[in-house]
Amino acid sequence: MIAAIRALEMPIRAEAALPRRVAARLSIGASKGPKAKVDWADLIGRVASDGDREAFKRLFEHFAPRIKGLMLKAGCSPDEAEEIAQNTMIAVWRKAHQFDPGTAGAPAWIFTIARNLRIDSFRRRARADRLQAGSELPDEPDQAEAVDVLISRGQDAARISSAIKQLSAEQSMVVRMSFIEERAHPEIASALGIPLGTVKSRIRLAMNRLRDILDEDA
Amino acid sequence: MTISHHPPEDLLADFAAGKLEEAHQLVVGVHVAGCARCARFVQAVEHLAGAALEDVEPAPIAPDAFARVMSAIHESPQETAAPPPASTTDPDLPPALRRYRIGKRRRVAPGLSLRPIELSGSGQARAFLLRSAPGSRMLEHTHTGTELTLVLEGSFSHEGGRFGPGDFDYGDDEVDHRPIVGEEGPCVCLVAMTGDLRMNGFLGRLIGPFVRL
Repeated sequence: MIAAIRALEMPIRAEAALPRRVAARLSIGASKGPKAKVDWADLIGRVASDGDREAFKRLFEHFAPRIKGLMLKAGCSPDEAEEIAQNTMIAVWRKAHQFDPGTAGAPAWIFTIARNLRIDSFRRRARADRLQAGSELPDEPDQAEAVDVLISRGQDAARISSAIKQLSAEQSMVVRMSFIEERAHPEIASALGIPLGTVKSRIRLAMNRLRDILDEDA
Repeated sequence: MTISHHPPEDLLADFAAGKLEEAHQLVVGVHVAGCARCARFVQAVEHLAGAALEDVEPAPIAPDAFARVMSAIHESPQETAAPPPASTTDPDLPPALRRYRIGKRRRVAPGLSLRPIELSGSGQARAFLLRSAPGSRMLEHTHTGTELTLVLEGSFSHEGGRFGPGDFDYGDDEVDHRPIVGEEGPCVCLVAMTGDLRMNGFLGRLIGPFVRL
């Protein structure tokens, strides 16, 4: 139910925050729901091939406030969330040529960039704290991306997307709240109106189900 | 390479969400890099994260944010080159670890040596490569805590099964195995370990009685 309320809220807020020209474009197909509006992959492609600033602006206006929103939800300070949102968008421009719509949807790709920047930001802070506390630490660059680039993401975007659709709404919601939004279990329990003990078992069931679906498809 | 032991799903989800500390991220990441099955799972969680990003309530961005972003892009439109790889001459090192600085081999017990992997120092756990001689037997040992082990070369076995290259062993205080290193050659593992020897799993049992790390 919460998801439904959010889904209704989102396009209204988004349009309010956008210049009229862009909002008008977004409203094409808005009746089909928020997912039907813009081909983000196409916009990223235009940034990659032509350095298209107009395309980039639309990506920025859509994603920067959402990255900030997600980072706030996951516990970042407002300054940190703002910085990660800006740096993510800079990286979206610089890495646009690496984006492959066959392996990931645009939002998932942008999430991974934001996630890696957040890891780096967290590590820098933790390092600084420990250095200040007198620890001797090696002078080593941060490595979130170093590990991430090792992973080859297959040409599986469509398959994975259909696998995820096989999860029940409750299952994908609980995974999202627990892992992506990093909410504590008691908070999830009260948000979903289920007993605390059910949260843990529902997460476990959802994870196993996802594994099973992906294995079946393989 | 047939992988039969995988990280638990919640660890993979934490990895995909970016919640693991550095040493754990490294060990899980190297497993996922060599395991198509876990890579799919990570991709799926990233996909869910993308959906969460689409649905999240947008937070107002600073008024000058777009201008600042454009000026950073104007100054340097391309990615700056990645730092050059650290020394890669050692045949010991799997390609996955070539971007890390890895310390000298240190003998810690008979038939057992380790090479520390330099991390940024942001986390509590350490990561290192552990090499043990063929046929080594571990002593029984009980511990508290957890330890992440990824086999890179060779094998070891315990009640949980045989662990060969690519296999991932998650040791915690609920299991008590007595691992034996395979006879086919030395066993090289990538290990993430928190704290001192209050650890369980392959390594804890192996060196527990002998050394302080």
